[in-house]
Amino acid sequence: MNKVFAVIRREFIERVRTKSFLIGTFLVPLLVGAFGYLPQLLARRDTGSKTIVVLDAASGPIGQVVTSRLGADSIGEGEGRKPRFLVVRLPAEGRLEQLRDSVVATIGLQEGPADAADGVLLLTEEAVEGGRISYLGDNAGSFRDMGALERLIGPALREERLQRKQADAAIIAAANVRLDLNSTKVTNGKATGQSGEQTFWLAYIVNLLMYMVLLLYGIQVMSAVIEEKSNRIVEVLVSSMSPFQLLMGKVIGVGASGLVQLGIWGVTGFYITATLASGGTGSGEAGVAADGTAASFSVPVISPELVAVILVFFLLGFFLYAGLYAAIGAMCNTQQEAQQANTPVTMCIGIAMVAVFALMNDPSSSLAKVFSLIPLFAPIVVPVRYAISPLPLAEVLLSVAAMVVGIVGVVWIAARIYRVGILSYGKKPSMKELWRWMRTA
Amino acid sequence: MASSVISVQGVTKRYAGHTAVSALSLEVPAGGIFGLLGPNGAGKTTTIRMLLSIITPDEGRVVLFGGAGSGRELSARIGYLPEERGLYPKMRVLDQLAFLGEAKGMSRWDARKRAKVWLERLGLEDWTTRKVSDLSKGMQQKVQFAGALQHDPELVVLDEPFSGLDPVNSQVMRDVVVDVARSGRTVLFSTHIMEHAEKMCSRIAIIARGEKVLDGNLAEVKGQFGKSHVALTFTRNAGAAAGPLADRALVARVDDYGASAEVQLAAGADPEALLKALLAVDVGLSRFEVVEPSLQSIFIARVGADAAHPTARQEA
Repeated sequence: MNKVFAVIRREFIERVRTKSFLIGTFLVPLLVGAFGYLPQLLARRDTGSKTIVVLDAASGPIGQVVTSRLGADSIGEGEGRKPRFLVVRLPAEGRLEQLRDSVVATIGLQEGPADAADGVLLLTEEAVEGGRISYLGDNAGSFRDMGALERLIGPALREERLQRKQADAAIIAAANVRLDLNSTKVTNGKATGQSGEQTFWLAYIVNLLMYMVLLLYGIQVMSAVIEEKSNRIVEVLVSSMSPFQLLMGKVIGVGASGLVQLGIWGVTGFYITATLASGGTGSGEAGVAADGTAASFSVPVISPELVAVILVFFLLGFFLYAGLYAAIGAMCNTQQEAQQANTPVTMCIGIAMVAVFALMNDPSSSLAKVFSLIPLFAPIVVPVRYAISPLPLAEVLLSVAAMVVGIVGVVWIAARIYRVGILSYGKKPSMKELWRWMRTA
Repeated sequence: MASSVISVQGVTKRYAGHTAVSALSLEVPAGGIFGLLGPNGAGKTTTIRMLLSIITPDEGRVVLFGGAGSGRELSARIGYLPEERGLYPKMRVLDQLAFLGEAKGMSRWDARKRAKVWLERLGLEDWTTRKVSDLSKGMQQKVQFAGALQHDPELVVLDEPFSGLDPVNSQVMRDVVVDVARSGRTVLFSTHIMEHAEKMCSRIAIIARGEKVLDGNLAEVKGQFGKSHVALTFTRNAGAAAGPLADRALVARVDDYGASAEVQLAAGADPEALLKALLAVDVGLSRFEVVEPSLQSIFIARVGADAAHPTARQEA
């Protein structure tokens, strides 16, 4: 037992000491944070008021209405509050194209007056009647600005159309009530505070996380086995301990370093999403989000039960796949050879990850239940299903039992292949030879 | 005879397609240096691996220290240097040795202490915190040597310990091996370099094609081959010696090394008659010495005979 512990400690310490571990541990959360934060940062940078020229070629007061509606919207809060659009209305009946061209010619020039137009809105009679309106501007790619234009102009035009049909003011007001779908996840007969969108994101993240860690640490076990085999150090070690002790030590050592890395990722991940979430509500974005035009990413709620399920299934899945990868490593002589040989195992993890996307729509279908009982797929399928909607304890335990049976079987086979494989050099074994390896006492 | 440290009893190991070791029996008594000799592919490494229970024999058994327990169970009492040297390249030297010590059942603290002593003894004390990959090949071999000896084993098994070493490092290692044996421990090493075995071993076994050719005390083995050997060195015209050496009345067998040769005289032949014959052909003879047969000569006679002349066995 002390020998197994020595292997575990060596595997753990040598792994944690490497540059790649440090880089992986601290760079991954940074990158994830950067990817989450960068769009917000870029969006926030772009906060000046935009100058819009409204070329009014429509009849009636609609031009003034649109101008005042656009001018009334604001961005920022408190001190930093300013109008979203600075609007200039030009009556343009009969000379629309001419005016349009002259305004467009000034848009986006590097050198020009500071109050030069950013865009031009063509308010025509067809726009009022047919709901087709043109906007030309250098901010045409901005979701936020375009969203605001739609949101502000749409109701104004609708009101105008209704008024032209002599509709009652009360009817117009009633027609203008906006739809606000407020979805809430129901769990075990109780409403949770989690929205449908958040649930999807959570399931998505859990899926990718499980896929990544199973693959990452499984391959690490494989590389470690090949390293020992190609260094021939394995021969000294198996003269002092059984191959099974060595295998267990390696798997547990790699698993422990994986747990540490996961833990660091988890803590920093929580911290980053938490600061992002609080930063989001602190700025003016909340106002936009409340309007429903630019819903910002919201942090999913993670229950302790889900964390427990993720950890348990990570450990079970890791042992299962580590056994398989160790057996593959023992069969091969070089990393290159192993990269090809591990394809069937890697594909199993891939199938589980892809299958989960199909199962997300109906996480309690019988197909989902079957996948949860297949040890190769359960480590990804069960946590994702649990993230979507907590499963009954009995179902989780049944999955765990299936996995334990699977692990015992896989480790039994893997240990036998490993025992012979680590001392066999040369050609990769055929299926027939593998069978003989397994049968040798 | 004192009970054997190693007793190999009728051991056979087969691999797909060939038999690596066939019904091999060996007794290695306590103390001294035992040489396991044989050409490449003779089954030396397979035999050693079975001693250490890295692989299990198909037939027969290995008894260590006269009692029960496999090599793995007794590994704390055995030091092992494998033929294919291997260390973790990214690991620091001292950590590496501490780990190897732990694998042998030492405590971590004890292992580090003993490792330091050995690194100092082998002149590597300045390298303890360096990575193994920073060390030269010779230094890496020394580290592994320390790994095999640091837990003070009663039995040291070395598979081709001096291969790939320069003369200076080779000498350092040989001195260490002799020291270990002098302190009452048993050393078994395999080699195909006969000069090493001849200088160091008290007992030898020669194996070829998985079978034992001969074994015993080195002096006895040489005695069996008789004193009728002559060592020759030529300074010129070595080809001219071929005539006298081919005379079957004088010479039973020649190991021709080019500028020198070792000759086994025919039964009843007079060494002086050979000397006269050689002087007559003018080969610039600088050495003519009646000697014990060298191990090299015995090895070639026995293993070569096995390989090329199956009938030679009865003559010997």
